[in-house]
Amino acid sequence: MRLESDRLGVAAFRLGYATIFVAMLLPIFIVIATSFSASGNLQFPPEGFSLRWYGAFFADIQWLRAFDNSFIVGIGTTVLATFMGITAAFGLEARKGRLGGLLTPVVILPLLIPPVILGVTLLVYFSALGLQSSYIGIILAHSLWATPLVFFVMQSVFQRFDWQLRDAGMDLGANPIRAFVHVVLPNVKNGIVVSALLAFIISLQEFVMALFLSNFQTQTIPVLAWNSLRQSLTPTVSVVSTFLILISVVGLAVAALAMNIDFVAKRLG
Amino acid sequence: MSNITLEGISKSYGDLQAVDDVDLSIRDGELLCLLGPSGCGKSTTMRMISGLETPTSGEVYIGGENVTDQAAYDRDTSMVFQNWALFPYKTVLENVAFGLKMRGDGTDERQQKARDMLERVHMDGYEEHSPTDLSGGQKQRVALARSLAVDPDVLLLDEPLSNLDKRLREEMQIELKDIHKEFDKTFVYVTHNQNEAFTLADRIGIMNDGRLVQVGEPTEVYRNPTNRFVEEFLGDTNFVAGEVTDVNDQYGRLSTEFGATIRVPAADAVEPGASFTVSLRPEFMQIRRSNGANEREGTAARADGTGGDTVVGSVENTIYRGSSIRYVVDTGGEHLFVEQSVTDQTGIEEGEQVELGWNTDDILVFRPDGSRVRDE
Repeated sequence: MRLESDRLGVAAFRLGYATIFVAMLLPIFIVIATSFSASGNLQFPPEGFSLRWYGAFFADIQWLRAFDNSFIVGIGTTVLATFMGITAAFGLEARKGRLGGLLTPVVILPLLIPPVILGVTLLVYFSALGLQSSYIGIILAHSLWATPLVFFVMQSVFQRFDWQLRDAGMDLGANPIRAFVHVVLPNVKNGIVVSALLAFIISLQEFVMALFLSNFQTQTIPVLAWNSLRQSLTPTVSVVSTFLILISVVGLAVAALAMNIDFVAKRLG
Repeated sequence: MSNITLEGISKSYGDLQAVDDVDLSIRDGELLCLLGPSGCGKSTTMRMISGLETPTSGEVYIGGENVTDQAAYDRDTSMVFQNWALFPYKTVLENVAFGLKMRGDGTDERQQKARDMLERVHMDGYEEHSPTDLSGGQKQRVALARSLAVDPDVLLLDEPLSNLDKRLREEMQIELKDIHKEFDKTFVYVTHNQNEAFTLADRIGIMNDGRLVQVGEPTEVYRNPTNRFVEEFLGDTNFVAGEVTDVNDQYGRLSTEFGATIRVPAADAVEPGASFTVSLRPEFMQIRRSNGANEREGTAARADGTGGDTVVGSVENTIYRGSSIRYVVDTGGEHLFVEQSVTDQTGIEEGEQVELGWNTDDILVFRPDGSRVRDE
């Protein structure tokens, strides 16, 4: 009897999760499907199949510029956030000072503030500095979010690192920078790849702060998508979404692969 | 010249005093063992010699030069780590050549030196292997080669053999001794294993609670310990507590916990009424079958005419320890143990009545605070 009810419970559990899973993935498939629509209506199932909206996308200078903008901002954010996150995590783990314990809650703070408030605040602040609507402004805003995530990934990576290796490197004549490059880096490079991808994807999909901080020249993909959606609902938006999904999935796959390599290497070690 | 002088060095981490005011002179070319229980500060002391830790106070001199503020990468010391700390993403050859690369040697030169060094430690043929594929003993050899390759003035070894099994450890001890002779460098060797220290050391520095308790040659620290901690740490011994009843010009008499009164040396330093603990080393005691003259267990102690005492008891346990046999003797409540070489073949068995004897001069006397009472 008991076994029977257990089995029933498990089945219900699985069914429930499968429903949630499908409900989450369905919109993504609908978006991808509608991007291949032959008609001008954003509807599902799509009427016919064509690549005309892909053609329209590549002919639209505004969309191409938004892609450029997103990549510029994304790469800027990746470089800045990865550098800051790595150095912060490195400093915290290498020194184990008392100050470090206070740092962690401060690092997490930007993640807890609503992006609308961050966006407005930064707009005021950047206007005073003459940075409004500039790439630098958006990169700084996105780094506020990406840096804590890089920090937490790298903190756990550095926690697993055997710090005696760094001691050994320094003992053999490597100054701190060379010890980092020759000894620490090879051991944590996969973690760096993962956190850099994370930073890039965060920047790529961030909308609210970018809306406040960009203008017509510097708007990123989500901002342009929002603006064009307000005017007309065309499958071009689905094309853009498909590209964004593709980039995120590829990014995640690379990250998973890097994680796995790291894991396997640790196991063998 | 690569003698090392530590002048009053201390290291504290917050409230924890890891090393407390250590003065130590290490001679050029000697092999000095820092010996002590875990957490006694021996590794921290060594890390301050290497430059991986900076003393909270005090000065470090190497070869007469004050290196206190010099970073690890600027010092001519090289360390062999307990877990060997081989770089997992580099080959064995790259590991050994690493220090030479940091020093700026050319590729060919450093590879040749690294190959030579690997050959010296019998690891030739493993150049292209990953350190992760090696056994503990092999890792040990590679770590040693990596440290020796940079031709350091001082080689620091932080319990390098503690992760090896007994046989391999003893084999490596002999090899380390040979390498020390051959390379003629100052070695500082940290260990918690007193046998290892006795095997390797020219001199031993014993540490406890962050302090350097005693420094001396192995026989000196073993036969002439400064306090009870050293006596206890360097080997098994019988501690017997008691109170001095009377003193003559040669000996004091100590009324012991197990009822017997035994004679103790250092008559002018002990006084009646005072409590002391004496140490009777098991190898300095003799055991023989009781001749029946003294049947009552543990109550009688008498001079046997050779400047010593005997006490009777019954054998409670015999423990075979390979090259020696240990007898645990019940002397009327108190247990004393004696060690005899197996070649002595006394044939004494459990339950037999025996007499334990010793020379009074082999007894060491300690005050309740652990300090040693010395003969004037």
